[in-house]
Amino acid sequence: MANEPVIEIRNLSKIYRDFWGRKKVQAVKSLNLEVYRGEVFGLLGPNGSGKTTTMKMLLGLLFPTSGEMKILGKPASDVSKNEKIGYLPEESYLYRFLNADETLDFYGRLFNMSAADRNRRADELIEMVGLTKARRRQLKEYSKGMTRRIGLAQALINDPELVLLDEPTSGLDPIGTREMKDLILKLKASGKTVVMCSHQLGDVQDVCDRIAVLFQGELKVLGRVDELLEIRDEMQIRTGSLSEEAQAEIRKVLDKHNVKNASIQRPRADLEELFLRTVRESGERPGRRFTTEEIAAGADKASGK
Amino acid sequence: MDFDPTPFNASEAWISWLRLVGVLSLCAIGLSFILAVARNGSRGVTIFAEGLKGFLSDLTSLNPRRIFALASLTFKDAVRRKALLVFVVFIALLMFAGWFISDSTGRPELQVKKHIALVLTSIAWLTLPVVIYLSCWVIPEDIGLRSMHTVVTKPVRRIEIVVGRILGFSSVATLVLGLMGLIGYGWILRQVPAEVQSHLTCRVPVFGQLYFIDPAGQPSRTGINVGDPWMFRSFVQGNSRARAVWVFRNMTPETVGDELTLESRFEAFRTVKGSESSIKSGMEAQYVLVKNPREEAFGGLAIGATFRDFADALREGQFNNAAERANELAEKIRTSPREIPEQDYGGLFFGSGAANQVLDALATQDAGKPGAESISALSGKFLKLSETVSALSKAQESAGNAPFLSVADDLASIAETLSADAELLRERLPRLEVPLPTFNVAEFHAGDNVSKIPRRIQFTADYETLSRFLSSRVEALNAEGKLVSGDALSAELESSLEQGGPMSPENARLLATVLNEQLSAGELVIADGKLSPSQNRRWLTFFDTLVQKEMLVSQDIEGWKLELDLFNDLTTMNNLRVEVACVNDQMYLGMARPDLFVRLPDRSFRVGYFKSILTLCLMMLLVVVIGVTASCVVKGPVSVFLTLTIFILGQFFHGMMDRISGGKEAGLGLVESATLIFQHRNPNAGMDASESTQNFVRSLDSVSNGLVKGANSIVPDFGIFQSSATYVENGFDVPFDSAVLPSIAAFLAFLIPCILLAGACLKFRELEAK
Repeated sequence: MANEPVIEIRNLSKIYRDFWGRKKVQAVKSLNLEVYRGEVFGLLGPNGSGKTTTMKMLLGLLFPTSGEMKILGKPASDVSKNEKIGYLPEESYLYRFLNADETLDFYGRLFNMSAADRNRRADELIEMVGLTKARRRQLKEYSKGMTRRIGLAQALINDPELVLLDEPTSGLDPIGTREMKDLILKLKASGKTVVMCSHQLGDVQDVCDRIAVLFQGELKVLGRVDELLEIRDEMQIRTGSLSEEAQAEIRKVLDKHNVKNASIQRPRADLEELFLRTVRESGERPGRRFTTEEIAAGADKASGK
Repeated sequence: MDFDPTPFNASEAWISWLRLVGVLSLCAIGLSFILAVARNGSRGVTIFAEGLKGFLSDLTSLNPRRIFALASLTFKDAVRRKALLVFVVFIALLMFAGWFISDSTGRPELQVKKHIALVLTSIAWLTLPVVIYLSCWVIPEDIGLRSMHTVVTKPVRRIEIVVGRILGFSSVATLVLGLMGLIGYGWILRQVPAEVQSHLTCRVPVFGQLYFIDPAGQPSRTGINVGDPWMFRSFVQGNSRARAVWVFRNMTPETVGDELTLESRFEAFRTVKGSESSIKSGMEAQYVLVKNPREEAFGGLAIGATFRDFADALREGQFNNAAERANELAEKIRTSPREIPEQDYGGLFFGSGAANQVLDALATQDAGKPGAESISALSGKFLKLSETVSALSKAQESAGNAPFLSVADDLASIAETLSADAELLRERLPRLEVPLPTFNVAEFHAGDNVSKIPRRIQFTADYETLSRFLSSRVEALNAEGKLVSGDALSAELESSLEQGGPMSPENARLLATVLNEQLSAGELVIADGKLSPSQNRRWLTFFDTLVQKEMLVSQDIEGWKLELDLFNDLTTMNNLRVEVACVNDQMYLGMARPDLFVRLPDRSFRVGYFKSILTLCLMMLLVVVIGVTASCVVKGPVSVFLTLTIFILGQFFHGMMDRISGGKEAGLGLVESATLIFQHRNPNAGMDASESTQNFVRSLDSVSNGLVKGANSIVPDFGIFQSSATYVENGFDVPFDSAVLPSIAAFLAFLIPCILLAGACLKFRELEAK
């Protein structure tokens, strides 16, 4: 079950054409990707790299030029797949003349939920996103953070198995960001699969199990976050509080002293560094995909070893 | 009344709709297949098949809860967009309109008409922009603002979005129209002056079929043209045999009531000035109620000039004479069949077919009565004649005169029946004429003429009617044994005759005297206690002779006053025939089909008014459907333009497109006309170009005409919806079969294909395409 794919993408390409059918740009090039059940997957890339196009093809908003996509075992063009999907769009695209209750009731109806289920679920979600006091106000009166929260609530109205989040922390204050990340981890803990696009690399690093980095429509990096950020030819020791003497002698006596709670591991680069390096090297060597070893070697080089 | 309602033929419309929608659907599917293959190569076949399968599966999995959610969202959206503000404009308009349209000096029906027209027109034209704006703008805006993304990423079929949006906008339009209708109704009741409130009613007309009888007594499709280029009305000449003949169907006491109301509006045309008083009073017209199955059966035979004498004899009830004419015709056909013009054979075919139909119906109705078998036999012979004449056109030249000989044989056979059963036929095929008092037709119109005719009508009989009346009275008394006493006529005869019905003592005495004289003269005989005409003649023939010899000229100053029942005695198979004559010499009366109608008991104004609101509502809903469909294909502004264009075409130019596509519009094709303008030539002269160029131009024109024909088929005729308003404004009830039903049918006819088209366009459209 651990490696059961929830999303399978095979040779996916998307070409945007003009009115006359002439090619304007190839947004996605032969993308192969799998997202497994229960993981938090991050889709990264600079503007125009094809990550939003990929997500919109998954949602059926765009049609692929070639290739195949399966979500929860169904083709992306099959509307019934949406029964188990929740989607939080990048901006607030909700109907601004509705209030929070009406919004959730409306989207609940679209899932053919009974009135009792809709009311129960709306109460839970409004409570969860902290909009209890503002539930009767029209969305046009909401702040950006409140709008993101009601957006998230509508994405979860159907208790989805797969949640697609487009820039989930965009526009949120630090506390809101923290709450959103906690919520994503909570979703993961409850067995949901989460796919997110984000430019907030710190956020991705905090919550994602695996990431994919796209550049100019091509998949450049794919792997687990902890592996990708590992620096292999360095070690770092993290301990509990040490005495001044111990700190002075640590290098000499590390082999002799048996220090409790000490961890010895390779240091990590941060995701921002990895991201910038991938983008830079993709520009220098177009059409090439990087292995985990190359990424690690790159990290060493960057650290000056 | 400037309209000519014709009932809506639902089955014909249904078939033509199926044909058109079927062809367009196949074209759309074919085009989609070609595009899919052209863009995706061999994969296109799979893509097409999957797309089609998905679309059909969407159609079968529509969910009412999702549709209702989308509809209620649409409703809230419309309210948020302040669509209901249109009420403010409407109420403001009504508040001040009274200042400008109140005019107590005008004709009552025109005062009422102005008020109703103002309300209905305002409702239509105020609601229209709101409906177009909402229906055309919301979906493109939804896509533009990406609110649609949050909907289509739920398990919503895109066709459900279309249906939900249409339902939502429709409920807004219905609410707006319903409330405006109620406010307008209240305003009309308050604003129409009290003295003309009685005109706020819905007359229920029954329109008949109209044809004319010319001054020579022959039937004709039209009357005289008095020089008016607008040939809406045909004219009948005054003081002549010319008549306009209306035949009204289904005239029974159950539908009409105990009193027949005839309402008319004729046009007067004079060729001499006349006196001042005659100008003021207008011309005299007269209704004549006629029961004339002979005319109905044999009128058609008079179409061909060759057979007119034969037809005239039949129409006059002179069946022996008709038999002689038929034998003469048979002889003529045998000897020189090709001297008779082809169109006369055509007339014979039509006339004998009509004779068969009418006689057959009469035979069925009178089954069991004396003479019914003769009519049935004659009907069969006319049917055979019709079939034989029909076969003439198919006969080969090599068949020689053989087919014509068959026609001659059929005519001879008819002559045989006519001759053998002349008396019986005359008895069964009467002509009853009941002239009603004359009335004035004003040249300067002062309203409709309304004549109320009681069910029991007393009138002065003509010769034929008198003979029939007397024969039936004498036959009845004879059957009761009241005529004869021993070897002589009863001494009580005079009082018996007088007691039986509307017969004055003077006329009863005259009849008794004449019967005694005839008995003495041997024209009547007594056998077995019954009186009967000698030589086995029928009583009708006996009295015909007496009346013709003027032996029964009334001794009463009022003449022979008879009484008939309107429905039992004056209708043929529940058809009532009303002939209209112009009494004054050198004057003419103009008439068109809607100019005379039987007015059934009136309905409440409220009923007609809200029927017209219903059809206006259907029109708005159709605009919604078109707007939503357009907005699924193109962006908001283009969608508004497209919907408005379709509305204007359907509202103002549908009639013209009808005429062009039906070849009834005067003038040449588009390119040919343009060429003539350029060459400064008139249409009769034609183009100054070679034959091949002319052919090329005409082929271009046939393409443009084809386009007009195509547009005419797919652009709805919005005039249908507004016809109801015309009825109510003119004080008529809105007929269901010629106004409400066509509106419902037109709405449904466009609703279904539009939903399919919009659903398909939205489904196969990339909502995020760059």
